[in-house]
Amino acid sequence: MRRVAVIGVGTTKFGKHDRTSAELFAQAAADALADADLPANRIQALYYGNVVGGETEKQLHTSPQAASVLGLPAIPTTRFETACASSHAAFRHAVMEVASGASDVVMVGGAERVLNVPTADSTEYFAYASDAAWEQTIGLTFPGVFALVARAHMHKHGTTEAQMAAVAVKNHKHGALNPKAQFQKEITLETVLNSARVADPLKLYDCCPFTDGGAALVLASEEVARRSRRPIWVLASAAASDWMLLGDKRDLSRVPATERAAAAAYRQAGKRPEDVDVVELHDCFTIAEIVATEGLGLFEPGTGGLAAEKGWTSLGGKVPVNPSGGLKAKGHPIGATGAAQICEIVTQLRAEAGPRQVDGARTGVTHTLGGNTATVLVSLFGRE
Amino acid sequence: MSDARITLQSFFEQAREGKLVGIKCGGCGALAIPPRELCPECGHRQWSQVPLSGDGEIASFTVIRIAPRGHAGDAPYAIAAVRLIEGVSLLGRVVDIPFDELAIGRKVRFRPLRIHEHTALGFGPV
Repeated sequence: MRRVAVIGVGTTKFGKHDRTSAELFAQAAADALADADLPANRIQALYYGNVVGGETEKQLHTSPQAASVLGLPAIPTTRFETACASSHAAFRHAVMEVASGASDVVMVGGAERVLNVPTADSTEYFAYASDAAWEQTIGLTFPGVFALVARAHMHKHGTTEAQMAAVAVKNHKHGALNPKAQFQKEITLETVLNSARVADPLKLYDCCPFTDGGAALVLASEEVARRSRRPIWVLASAAASDWMLLGDKRDLSRVPATERAAAAAYRQAGKRPEDVDVVELHDCFTIAEIVATEGLGLFEPGTGGLAAEKGWTSLGGKVPVNPSGGLKAKGHPIGATGAAQICEIVTQLRAEAGPRQVDGARTGVTHTLGGNTATVLVSLFGRE
Repeated sequence: MSDARITLQSFFEQAREGKLVGIKCGGCGALAIPPRELCPECGHRQWSQVPLSGDGEIASFTVIRIAPRGHAGDAPYAIAAVRLIEGVSLLGRVVDIPFDELAIGRKVRFRPLRIHEHTALGFGPV
């Protein structure tokens, strides 16, 4: 297999937009091409993530639409849907297309538009990613899924609501340094703890927002990447799944798919958790970040809450997590999130992240979770 | 041993009548919740229907306060993951237990619910 690098990245501002998801993707993709300093006609395929286009925009067939709006109507396109992990799944398959030699330059991206519908509707559409017969019928929501995880983690490890709140405070502090973040405002522990209850024990500020946005990146073979200005190498890209039904998971305090995908990614890259300098991970809810830091091997099981409380995951800490602000503050346009996390890690490894730069970062990880913890992707990146 | 496939529909038709059932692998005896084609333990494809007691204890729980469009009128409502005494787990709406009495380890019993035209799983006090 050939080595593969990311040679260009682009994201829109995250937040509310009066543009379609295809327009948001196209803007990010054109920015990624400009960043790669490549003409559009070098792109040989598009791997695309979009989740609820059918519901919020009444739009299926979103990948050729996205390519058309970008201005590349003839290339092969494929849409990936693994709930919130969609564009990270797209990325993994694109890496395989370039590594195999089938293509030399491939575009990966994703976009989502949800703020054009009321919250009760978007909550309903996101719940479609849980099981229709077993989970949607009882009114399970995504905050509800992670509330069940939180309660199990608190019971098993003594994790506290204040430790979860510390994740939100930290990610808002990071987001305040990111001009593209949806929320660029610091918050206090009290703000989180006193916010409205959503699904006990999770409160409003334990939850990431609904977000419109797009993200894109350009992948290239080693031969092409060597002629680019700042290639960042893909050291590994791995995926794993777990039982779809929450009831079939033996221990709700863990996410086995994260543990499996991380083990595979570290093995592919020949790296260990101790080698990681910077992490962008899936903090759709504060407890999700705590469990992910444990599943990625950054902290011992049960100590992810303590790590957040002690500042070990803050900028300047032992291993900075979500310097972009994460899903919590940067925002979570679900089809774009995996690609956007990769854009941030590439920016960090190029040492171009400005005030949120992790000094001397050489190895980075992205982690994206889909649905009720049934899909996880983990990728590793490195400088030359 | 029943030759009939245990479909999702047949599970919920029985659940509606108050009868909770699981499926047992003809190869290794593993217990599962239908539908499932292959046994993840041994790979066998022959399952038989077995009754489940409906008795279990709460493994985790939450109170949903912001509900999806289709359940908005019901909020707040409690949902629990329940480990049945047979070893399999199910999610259900918790009814007739005050929110402040919900606890991991609390014993509960299955009861069928009808929620917005759908049969759904519920758990209430023993």
